[in-house]
Amino acid sequence: MRAYNQAWIHNRDVLQQVDRWHRLGFLTDAQQATAQTTYPVGFLQTNSYVEIGLFLFTTVVILAVYLLVLPFASAVEEDRLAYGLVNAGFGLVVGVVGNVLINRRMLYRNGVDNAFVVMATAFVGFGLNQFIPEGVSLSTHCLLTLPVLVLVFWYYGDTLIAFLLLMTAYTLVYNVTLHTDAGRALLPYAMIVASVALYGLSTWLLRLEKTTYYLDGLHLGQWLALAMLLISSNYYVVRELNGVLADSVRQLDDLQNQPLRAPGTLALPGLFWVLTFALPLLYLWLGTTRRDRMLLILGLAGLTGAFATVHAYWHLVPTNVALTIGGLLMIGLAVLGIRHLRIPTHGFTDAPDEDSTSESGLDSSLLIARQTGQNTPTTPHPTGRPEGGKFGGGGAGESY
Amino acid sequence: MSPDDVLNELIRQGILSPEQQVVVAEYERKKPVSIHGELRSMLYVGITALSAGLGYLIYANFDQIGHGLLLLAMAAGCIGCLAYAWLNRPAWSTGIVTDRAAFTDYALLLFCLLFLTLEGYAQYQYTAFGTRYGLATLLPALLFLPLAYRFDHRGVLGIALTALISWVGVTVRPLNLYLKTNFFAQPTVLSAIGLSLLLIGAALLLERRRIKPHFTYTYLTIAGNLLLIALLGGLFNFREQRVLYALALAVTCVALDLYARSERRTHSDRAGGSFLFLLMATVYGYIGLTFLFFTYLHPTNWGEGWYYWYFIVTGIALIAYLIRQLTGTKRTTA
Repeated sequence: MRAYNQAWIHNRDVLQQVDRWHRLGFLTDAQQATAQTTYPVGFLQTNSYVEIGLFLFTTVVILAVYLLVLPFASAVEEDRLAYGLVNAGFGLVVGVVGNVLINRRMLYRNGVDNAFVVMATAFVGFGLNQFIPEGVSLSTHCLLTLPVLVLVFWYYGDTLIAFLLLMTAYTLVYNVTLHTDAGRALLPYAMIVASVALYGLSTWLLRLEKTTYYLDGLHLGQWLALAMLLISSNYYVVRELNGVLADSVRQLDDLQNQPLRAPGTLALPGLFWVLTFALPLLYLWLGTTRRDRMLLILGLAGLTGAFATVHAYWHLVPTNVALTIGGLLMIGLAVLGIRHLRIPTHGFTDAPDEDSTSESGLDSSLLIARQTGQNTPTTPHPTGRPEGGKFGGGGAGESY
Repeated sequence: MSPDDVLNELIRQGILSPEQQVVVAEYERKKPVSIHGELRSMLYVGITALSAGLGYLIYANFDQIGHGLLLLAMAAGCIGCLAYAWLNRPAWSTGIVTDRAAFTDYALLLFCLLFLTLEGYAQYQYTAFGTRYGLATLLPALLFLPLAYRFDHRGVLGIALTALISWVGVTVRPLNLYLKTNFFAQPTVLSAIGLSLLLIGAALLLERRRIKPHFTYTYLTIAGNLLLIALLGGLFNFREQRVLYALALAVTCVALDLYARSERRTHSDRAGGSFLFLLMATVYGYIGLTFLFFTYLHPTNWGEGWYYWYFIVTGIALIAYLIRQLTGTKRTTA
């Protein structure tokens, strides 16, 4: 039992593929129409601009209602338990009203329901945290909030909640590790282990899940895990930033009596140097062989970070020269890529994504060929642009 | 759901023929991954890094280079970019041009940015324009506007319109007055209203003549925001004409709403973007309404918490209004 109608989401996924294949000319108009009647979707349509407005105004309304209730809550502000109960209770009411609206108005991520989910979670989480005495560690608060967020994410599959969930989980790992005796030395390893675990979990859940209900949240988990893995194994980050952050946390938590490591030293420097370069290269290799865009982007970003790390310690050339050379290198690579991939090779192409740009018209003759006889050439031109090389609306496209 | 799952579903429902399934499955298996956006992002990051590095390099070795040489180099870069773009120009059309060479758009954009840098540098070092700031802002506007049309480049159109707006701004009211006094002086507000109405009128006229109708969206986004901000500025600052500004704001919001509706009716391909005008109308209109409510009705004096009801009632009304707009639009797969 989950917040949104599962059958409609399944149908919506099917129709999205059908619409795409129809756009590409594989399916006829009649087939698309049949699919639309076979797979009904009852959700209210949505649009990202309207979503922004609806999210904004719904938040205004909920906050105004809360302010109306607040005088009653303030009366019991001294009593943490009662104050917590009022807030959590308000959150629950918001959640229930949100669910009624979702069912009555057939909402699915229209802004209104997103605002209800986020506000309900915020009030319940805030209320729950009033139940524990003041002055407990951050990790205790995280530990208390985490189950709420997991439950809300399971029920709604909301992406914003997924983001909060991931942040809370990382804060928990970070804070717990720092409170152990060997905390600072362990921190990078703890973050690496947590990231690998998060990536494994997200990937496993993605394989289990057949619909798009959790797709965005789980993709976010993968992105964040891989990015955090790069960051927490980068030599510069581990050596410099880690020390700074750890010291500040120590001071906050009255742990100064513990021995501090001399700044700028690091156990196993060799391992982190290897990881700094090996991980991005691994990402790039996997990204190329598996044709995975996420791995390619993160690999390239990680490699840039690795070179910046070398530059930070050795200054082989002045920074301005390094920037110039780096810029030239990137432009060169991009130009090479654009020229080379005019004709798709190794499973990659420079043609704009068929899913992202609908205005960059497909080659109409091929379209008609596909639609009429289905006697498509044995290898239909994968991009639908036989001449290749030209790209539609690059400068005048949406990216501006 | 993988494409294969969907194909099996469609076969089971009898919507797809087995032959089609083979073709589609083959297409999905062999479909190359598009790294179009990634390559272009890399190009942009590279250009940014290169220009930052070069700028820093020049700054560090300035005493050895000299202003004249620097200006010359920039001018050469400018001419080079424009020449490259012109030699690889797309064919002229009054519609949207999809068939274009790979790097023309980037060369043109780089030309515009270099030109602005060159102009700024010449002004800073040699005060080439003296205090005639109007000329300095009019020049790029006059240059970029035709280029945007010739090359069918919405990014350059945006720069040109921004330059045009700043030209009117500094012409109406000298620059130093902006910094010394209130930004919203009556002449500035009125000229902003006049210019935005002119731009909107021009855009609608050009669309009717079928000259680059896809530019209308850029025009309306920039000019519409300018108009609404100017009206809000007038509403906040000029007590005597407040009724007029309030009326004008209401009319503009209604007009934007009507325009968005007609766009959805007549151009289904522009339905998604038309909601931006709806959002603009609601948000700016709501700000104006809330300002008037609190200025004239003084709800804070009514007693504790009464004005929260204003936010609750208006908020619910706007939510209902926006949701109503969503029903009756065609199903979008985005």
